[in-house]
Amino acid sequence: MILAVSLAISAIFGSGVFLLLQRDLLRVVVGIVFVSNSAILFVIAAGLSRGDAPIYPLPEGGLLGAGTSDPLVQAMALTAIVISFSTAALLLGLVYRLYAAHRTVDVEDISEAETREAEALEKDGDLGEPEREEEPQGKPAEVELGEETR
Amino acid sequence: MTGFADSADPLVLALAVGIPWALAAALSLFDGRKRWVGWVAVAGLGATLAALARLAVLVVGGDRVEMTAGGWPEEVGITLRADALGATFALVSVGVIFASLLYEVLGGVRSRTFPALVLFMAAGLTGLFLTGDVFNFYVFFEVSMTAAYVLASYREQDHQVRAAFIFAVINLLGSVVFLIGVAALYHVTGSLDMATIAERIDPVQPNSVIVIAAAIFVAFSLKLGLFPFHFWLPAVYVGSHPPVAAILSGALANIGSYGLLRFGGGLLPRELELGSAAVLVLGTASIIYGAVQAISRRDTSEVLAYSAIGQAGYILVALGVGGPVGYAAAVLYAVVNSLNKGLLFLAAGLRGPLVGAAFAVGAFSVAGVPPAAGFLGKVALFESSLAAGTVPASVALVVLIFLGSALSFVYSFQIYQRRFWAPKPDDLGDRGKPSPVAPRVLVVLLAALALGVGLWPEPLLSLSEAAADVLAGGP
Repeated sequence: MILAVSLAISAIFGSGVFLLLQRDLLRVVVGIVFVSNSAILFVIAAGLSRGDAPIYPLPEGGLLGAGTSDPLVQAMALTAIVISFSTAALLLGLVYRLYAAHRTVDVEDISEAETREAEALEKDGDLGEPEREEEPQGKPAEVELGEETR
Repeated sequence: MTGFADSADPLVLALAVGIPWALAAALSLFDGRKRWVGWVAVAGLGATLAALARLAVLVVGGDRVEMTAGGWPEEVGITLRADALGATFALVSVGVIFASLLYEVLGGVRSRTFPALVLFMAAGLTGLFLTGDVFNFYVFFEVSMTAAYVLASYREQDHQVRAAFIFAVINLLGSVVFLIGVAALYHVTGSLDMATIAERIDPVQPNSVIVIAAAIFVAFSLKLGLFPFHFWLPAVYVGSHPPVAAILSGALANIGSYGLLRFGGGLLPRELELGSAAVLVLGTASIIYGAVQAISRRDTSEVLAYSAIGQAGYILVALGVGGPVGYAAAVLYAVVNSLNKGLLFLAAGLRGPLVGAAFAVGAFSVAGVPPAAGFLGKVALFESSLAAGTVPASVALVVLIFLGSALSFVYSFQIYQRRFWAPKPDDLGDRGKPSPVAPRVLVVLLAALALGVGLWPEPLLSLSEAAADVLAGGP
């Protein structure tokens, strides 16, 4: 049993890491979900025991005669599942935000587009001085705020 | 289970953890750009700060305040436990968050979620510094990290969103590694309570514990941005909004220092001693790398980001030396460092009379020039390096710290010179306009605090010594 669980954990973790190293941001998110789930499996494996369901009131004498199984790991796994799915949602939100701006989820394309924009800005505004880097950041934020208030 | 000096004490503890929680949940329903929402958040955080100050006074004598959540019997329910170490870190982190929130509210909040997110971050941080349960620690840690991921993309510039994405992915990976460490600790000790784990870890086979210790070390080093794990850090700080950068660097990074102290010094002291050579080497590499990179950069926030990597190295060196002197130095340095970083990032976002002076105080403090607070940190580090066992090791550490301080002096004044000396105000057009008075006054007050701590160091020294005693005597 221990061997099977550890094989499963390592397979999930490994494929998660493989996906994390891709350039496609969606795959990165899926990779994070895989890695988190392998950790959740690890949490369960940390207290793996055979026994009755730990639901109060406990059955008289026990059904399997092996006591109850460890409830703590299940509580931990549940909490970790909730955390991992909420962070996955947040990551997807960030990816969507990038997709809406650049129409691509490839990290290299996005950084290329950003470099092009920065170069275009530099040509327009003659941003020679490093001191002035902050200026183009302040203004668009205010514009965005105007859009949000609609 | 000692420490119930007064029946009102657990209430203070519950208030410190509960106020930011309740307020954050309530305020997330309102538009944070309205002034009253911002001020309610400031008031709530102020109340939290007052409760934490009360806690710090209670625990500085070596007491600890405990309560078991939800009315469960002891050993079953989750324990909230405030001791000198946790209370010190909570006080400083919430202090920096409070200053940053006040700064943003005075200057005008630009996002509807900002006050609620900052409160969530404060709730997560107070929770994790004041919990006595390792899984609970993980949950609070995720709460504050998640708030940080959203805050990192505060202005929603494309490059900020991308930096926030990278930040989130790297740190989630770190959290997963930490969760695996927590599960493994549970597996070998059968408990999640920090005190019980510290008791039961001794008879466990060292070769299984060293793996757990390594996993936990990697997780916290990622948070702290130590040298081989630092690559995400500059991208997040560059171009980020000053209060957000101050919160990330002055408050969130404390998770790393606290985690290394609590888990390394408190739960796994044997493994920390075993790995002290590796810890010292990584710390040294961080100090040198951070300082050299900081000197070579031009952008203020980039310099400060690399400086953060270097400063984290000092904490690691103090931790590697270990013992009461080393732990006290690590606590002191972490506290002073978050004060410095908060001050520098906030001051760097402003201009006008007195801001330059405030920034100079922060820069002096980073370099360790008396009477600024940073001097205390450097003195404590020198003391701890003298305690480092052999003479060659002590000499090497003293030289390293001296070199690091000299380099940090150079980069601090490079940015000071570029920002506050170089061009005349009228050459800058719009940018020459001084910032509003209120944030400037706040920054000057912070600078005065940094000077005040340096001039009257007794409270901070006794707090950090009490914190080190907590670790030396077991959690």
